[in-house]
Amino acid sequence: MFRNRSKTAGRLLLLIFLLAAGSLAAIFIRAFGFFTKNDGKVLIADLYQDGALLTSINLTAVTESYTFSVNAPGGGSNLVEVRPGEIGIREADCPDRICVRQGYIHTSLLPITCLPHRLVIQLRTDNTDQIDTEVPDAVVR
Amino acid sequence: MSPKKLATLGLFTTMSLIIYGVECAIPPLVPIPGIKLGLANIVTLVLLRDFSLRDAILVLLARILLSALLFGQALSLLYSLTGGIVSLFLMALFHHFLRKKEIVITSILGGIGHNLGQIAVALFLTKTIGILAYLPFLLLSGILTGCFTGFCAHFLQGRIPRDR
Repeated sequence: MFRNRSKTAGRLLLLIFLLAAGSLAAIFIRAFGFFTKNDGKVLIADLYQDGALLTSINLTAVTESYTFSVNAPGGGSNLVEVRPGEIGIREADCPDRICVRQGYIHTSLLPITCLPHRLVIQLRTDNTDQIDTEVPDAVVR
Repeated sequence: MSPKKLATLGLFTTMSLIIYGVECAIPPLVPIPGIKLGLANIVTLVLLRDFSLRDAILVLLARILLSALLFGQALSLLYSLTGGIVSLFLMALFHHFLRKKEIVITSILGGIGHNLGQIAVALFLTKTIGILAYLPFLLLSGILTGCFTGFCAHFLQGRIPRDR
């Protein structure tokens, strides 16, 4: 089956290889983004349900863990646990519980998603607290 | 549809339901929503190659609807339905262009199509752009699992009686 491959098949294979390479590159670029410049920035968790921002939590300012539950509009709930510097879903009554298995996140590499309850927890870094404490010497991108 | 055809397609539907049920019992390998082996796609591929597109559509729809009833995952019905239809459409299209050869490439394209369809539904339901962060992971997993199911279907060639 590896001989006499038609032109169409060759092109499709090339396309598949490019897609795979592109995905790998995207994953690595995103993963590297966080390990390098994360200094002096504030980590903020945004909770979205049905696309609407429920709440934003400054994870850097959290000193003690606490939990709260988020009720889905169509029934069901997720118990969100906030720890210093990280956030995750501890309990959920969705059928697959993939959101619980996703564990606690402390980078914005991947959001936590509970598809049955349409809940998304996304992290972002912000340097808002730097503005009033020190004058930025330069903005280099 | 002749009684014989009906019985044959019924058997294929049962087969894909069993494969699907067994796969559901395996705990998810990667904690990323939407990533799974998609073993039931082997049946769709075999039907597409050895039978016809119409038979593949019938068995796919029957399998998705029945599995939603049997395994009680009505919530995921929309995801499987969209993913399954997009995947089958892509596979039928490229199976035709590839002159019914290269079942592995067809299967990989189907795997990619399935995950693209699913993330489209997820975007529509959650209305959160951020879940696009899963896209590279889903593409990669679609390629890998599509490769696996494609080889399964390839080695099944000639072992399952063809349509007459």
